[in-house]
Amino acid sequence: MWRYTLTRLLQGIITIWFIATATFLAMHAVPGNPLAGDKAMTAEIQANLEAKYGLDKPVSQQYLIYMGNLMRGDLGISYTQKNREVNDIIREHFPVSATLGIIAIIFAALGGVLFGALTALYRNKWPDTVIMLMVIVGISVPSFVIAAFAQLALVRINGALGFSLLPVAGWGTVAHMIVPSLVLGLGTMAYLTRLMRSSMLEIVNSDYIRTANAKGLPATRIFTHHQLRNAILPVVTVLGPAIAAITTGGFVVELVFAIPGLGRYFVQAVQQLDYTVIMGTTVFFGAFLVLMVIAVDLLYGWIDPRVRLN
Amino acid sequence: MTGPHEKPLLDVNDLAVEFDTYGGTVKAVRGVSFSVEAGKTLAIVGESGCGKSVTVQALMGLVPMPPGRLTAGTAKLRGHDILRTTQIDGRDFRGSEIGMIFQDPMTSLNPTMTIGRQIAETLEVHLGWSRKQSFARAIELLELARIPEAEQRARQYPFEFSGGMLQRAMIAMAIACEPAILIADEPTTALDVTIQAQLLDLMADMQARNGTAIILITHDLGVVARMADKVAVMYAGQVVEMGSVDDIFYRSAHPYTVGLRAAMPSNDSSARHRLLPIEGSPPDLFAPPSGCAYAARCPHAMRICTEVEPPAFQTGPGHYGRCWLHHEGVAGAAETLRGMQPALRTEPGDAAGPNREEKA
Ligand SMILES: Nc1ncnc2c1ncn2[C@@H]1O[C@H](COP(=O)(O)OP(=O)(O)OP(=O)(O)O)[C@@H](O)[C@H]1O
Ligand code: SF4
Ligand SMILES: [Mg+2]
Repeated sequence: MWRYTLTRLLQGIITIWFIATATFLAMHAVPGNPLAGDKAMTAEIQANLEAKYGLDKPVSQQYLIYMGNLMRGDLGISYTQKNREVNDIIREHFPVSATLGIIAIIFAALGGVLFGALTALYRNKWPDTVIMLMVIVGISVPSFVIAAFAQLALVRINGALGFSLLPVAGWGTVAHMIVPSLVLGLGTMAYLTRLMRSSMLEIVNSDYIRTANAKGLPATRIFTHHQLRNAILPVVTVLGPAIAAITTGGFVVELVFAIPGLGRYFVQAVQQLDYTVIMGTTVFFGAFLVLMVIAVDLLYGWIDPRVRLN
Repeated sequence: MTGPHEKPLLDVNDLAVEFDTYGGTVKAVRGVSFSVEAGKTLAIVGESGCGKSVTVQALMGLVPMPPGRLTAGTAKLRGHDILRTTQIDGRDFRGSEIGMIFQDPMTSLNPTMTIGRQIAETLEVHLGWSRKQSFARAIELLELARIPEAEQRARQYPFEFSGGMLQRAMIAMAIACEPAILIADEPTTALDVTIQAQLLDLMADMQARNGTAIILITHDLGVVARMADKVAVMYAGQVVEMGSVDDIFYRSAHPYTVGLRAAMPSNDSSARHRLLPIEGSPPDLFAPPSGCAYAARCPHAMRICTEVEPPAFQTGPGHYGRCWLHHEGVAGAAETLRGMQPALRTEPGDAAGPNREEKA
């Protein structure tokens, strides 16, 4: 397991380096000088920036400076906000995004496993039909549409009740988190439900479940000890991409629900061509995703001995 | 299982199983009867698809329903009917009173649970033992099944075992609660020949140790000769011949058995046996023929064979054959069958040759 963990971490570091380099090159491929935009930039900021990044120096040297700063954990200073470090921006807004994302992924994973198992247990009966209908909606309708509808529905409900059952937008309390994370996790949950269902159905007919029956194990034990753990494996495999989907989906949901998360900041930075913020948040998000994928891999290894021990 | 019982340990009577498929209803098992005595081995032989697995799976409540359906029959384990229930006196008899091992050990064990735990859980469930106690016993059982370094092996997962080792572990698992009956559905078919012999030895040892009755399904008449006391020959969902090993090998009461023997390679190195497959294919189980199911392939088929299903004729003590040749009205026919026997033992190539003119 240690070897496995170490290998995965090393691979992760290489991936992060690759992301950082690609981001750097991409930003340099964008035509125009970052300092010669149509935004008003004070001489003060410009001087600071040029001193720090040596923007007049050749690209290779800029790259080395950039990587050196990265390694020290310095993501630079915002181009548009005076003396505001990218690190500060991340420190302030990332916890919000992370909270939203984590609730969404937990909701998606638990819901997917639960509903998937239910549909398989009640195959072709009404719970299966109803859930699979919802799954089709969840998979095919994009999250910004669902977000808009959810907001509209909340406005109506709050209006009809005469008091605010759940806030329509904003952030701060647990009540604020419920609807946005549900909306954010819904598509992934639908996808995981479908996956869990087919995986459960496959395993019900497997030889080792037949063996478990031939051993006279109670149905509940067969379900918990033999079926569930094996059925979850394919679901865990796609958790990495699912986390990526939820992270990017978060950008939109944060905007719709006016949540002060990093995603919203990132979108803003792109609109304002705030190079350091774009680069910093991209690398940060990239690193975060890589770590999550590694965490998922380790989880997978923990569940499946064939991965752990090979 | 002390002392002789007048009643058999397991008595299966007129078992019938059907499957509803898109193509129609498959009559997979059509009135199978047999009995199993304590400490003895019953072999069930027959071509692929003749209903061997479905028969024993029906006993173990393993036939998926739907599409499967039990349409007739009883199966009495020490007097308790077990066919439409998995319980005897409120307890599951599977694993405790009847253990079962399957053809493919690679897929028949849970890939994410250690071998030891998979053996131990049977003890936990049926005997109410603690986890620790059960695991310790699992290690002992693995040792009994001659798995070296059982202690470490018990903590390993199926993918760390070879096929032969896994089947040993399966045997250890099936006999954990010292069941009265062990059902083995082609336990060695998926494994190579040298390992086959070791596994059969192991099963015979376990049988001698615990007095277990074995129901052994196999394609291999060599395995039958080695292991069985009694043999049921199945064809198209029916037992067409039932008798002792000697009955089956030296006094076959059914042309299909004769054909089977001719089709099997022999250990007998003195005679250069030619492998002679039985011509034609088994009947359509969607619409089994009204007469003898073997009529289309039988070298001795008479008119009655295609019209009326033959009953089981007794041809000796405990020896039955479902074949019209044994009817007293068929003059000389029984001699025909008997006359084929010695020739068969040395030259099975002649099996389908003589007496063709007897066809009505
Ligand atoms: N789940 C099922 N659905 C439909 N038909 C089935 C099912 N299981 C078995 N059958 C049919 O029942 C018949 C008997 O099958 P069975 O598995 O008992 O054969 P077998 O004698 O064990 O053959 P083999 O030697 O190949 O294992 C076959 O014709 C098969 O197609
Ligand atoms: S009953 Fe007739 S067809 Fe069937 S095996 Fe006997 S002789 Fe052949
Ligand atoms: Mg079979």
